[in-house]
Amino acid sequence: MCLGIPGRIVELRDDTGLAMGVVDFGGVRREVCLAYVQDEARLGDYVIVHVGFAISMVDEAEAHRTFEVLREMSQLDELGWLDEVAEAAGASLGSATTVTQTGSRIP
Amino acid sequence: MKYLSEYRDAAIARPLIERIKRTATRPWTLMEVCGGQTHTIVRQGLDELLEGAIEMIHGPGCPVCVTPLEQIDKALMLAARPDVIFTSFGDMLRVPGSDCDLQQVRARGGNVRVVYSPLDALEIARRHPEREVVFFAVGFETTAPANAMAVWRARELGVPNFSVLVSHVTVPPAISAIMQAPDNRVQAFLAAGHVCAVMGWTEYEPLAMRHRVPIVVTGFEPLDILEGMLMAVEQLETGRHTVENQYVRSVRREGTPAARTRVEEVFELVDRKWRGIGEIPMSGLRLRPAFAAFDAELKFGLGDIHVNESPECHAGEVLTGKLKPPRCPAFGTRCTPEHPLGALMVSAEGACAAYYHLAKYRESGEPAAAGAVS
Repeated sequence: MCLGIPGRIVELRDDTGLAMGVVDFGGVRREVCLAYVQDEARLGDYVIVHVGFAISMVDEAEAHRTFEVLREMSQLDELGWLDEVAEAAGASLGSATTVTQTGSRIP
Repeated sequence: MKYLSEYRDAAIARPLIERIKRTATRPWTLMEVCGGQTHTIVRQGLDELLEGAIEMIHGPGCPVCVTPLEQIDKALMLAARPDVIFTSFGDMLRVPGSDCDLQQVRARGGNVRVVYSPLDALEIARRHPEREVVFFAVGFETTAPANAMAVWRARELGVPNFSVLVSHVTVPPAISAIMQAPDNRVQAFLAAGHVCAVMGWTEYEPLAMRHRVPIVVTGFEPLDILEGMLMAVEQLETGRHTVENQYVRSVRREGTPAARTRVEEVFELVDRKWRGIGEIPMSGLRLRPAFAAFDAELKFGLGDIHVNESPECHAGEVLTGKLKPPRCPAFGTRCTPEHPLGALMVSAEGACAAYYHLAKYRESGEPAAAGAVS
């Protein structure tokens, strides 16, 4: 139930004193309360949304860095194995980069 | 390897698994706190792939599962009232109470509505001033800021017909209780990433120190979980016990301060019973006296009730890692997601349901029905 979904802020507005906005989740858009991130959040930023509330920002640079560390670790560990599955790895690494850049998602 | 090969990051996951196995010089017992992580671990078969290196005990971090039977029964009483519109996250509708669930109350004519956000429940109250609208405020620290804001807004906007039935729980007291249990086997924790996105990890630092237990704040993707496991095993192997953060992209040490502040303004700590586990001191949240007007238990005079669990349900042993779900005599026979004896079989994040869907997945070769999580 603590599922949080990363999405991109595409609209910001004020609803009688409450910071609200619209967040895009890969094409699906929802009304979200942005009160808890309003000091930081700008249009185009990524946030983790849980039950209609943005509960934290997603740091894209950190997301990318973490992923690169993991990939580096894997390459160091099993270079040969990665070569073996180079084609498949190429495809999956592409999608994984997208996912980790936008934060966590429960499958 | 079937499950892992279907996972998009298999190319990285496999070497990570090998690395964990090489790092572990002996088997270690870890607990993932969050039900979302349990779902990923069981679904992807990560526990089986790491057999011999890591044993995962699935923690109590599923709010649907640990909401006490008494609170479910109170929800059922309120939902059956003709003057009430009862609102809830969808997960709670099929959680068995003493003799029925919210879905059955709805079938008998109760006005039970599923909402996505607690603010939606508040909006229903504003549109129906002639009815009492009650929201079932369950969850961990991840959900508390949303529920706190709904109550705060109800007071701000003056919505007297809105109230909440609160059954909030918090993670750190549960970690303490697990570590203090005489038969505890947990040697390190993967803390729940989204709980920490709100709360940060300062509360965990004294726990790691006091109980000499590594705690790694961990995300929810399979790769996150594997990296969290590796960080925990590296600490165990080198005799360290600190709090580390795997989920750097979304969690900061101080969490999200505005959310923490609102939770503290609206709620206060209270002893709370956990379904299947029992009472854990100061592990729950209740409304502060300033918000008493929005407390459904006071408004409807519900008082204390005492009820007993089905003796056939072994949820307590599962939640403390003493029993794996498939070893329960009722698993998959008298207890299924369609006819659950206990809450662990209801939520997609409950350990019993996770194992049940995995078994079905293996039988059919089709993707397991993950079920709805709010």
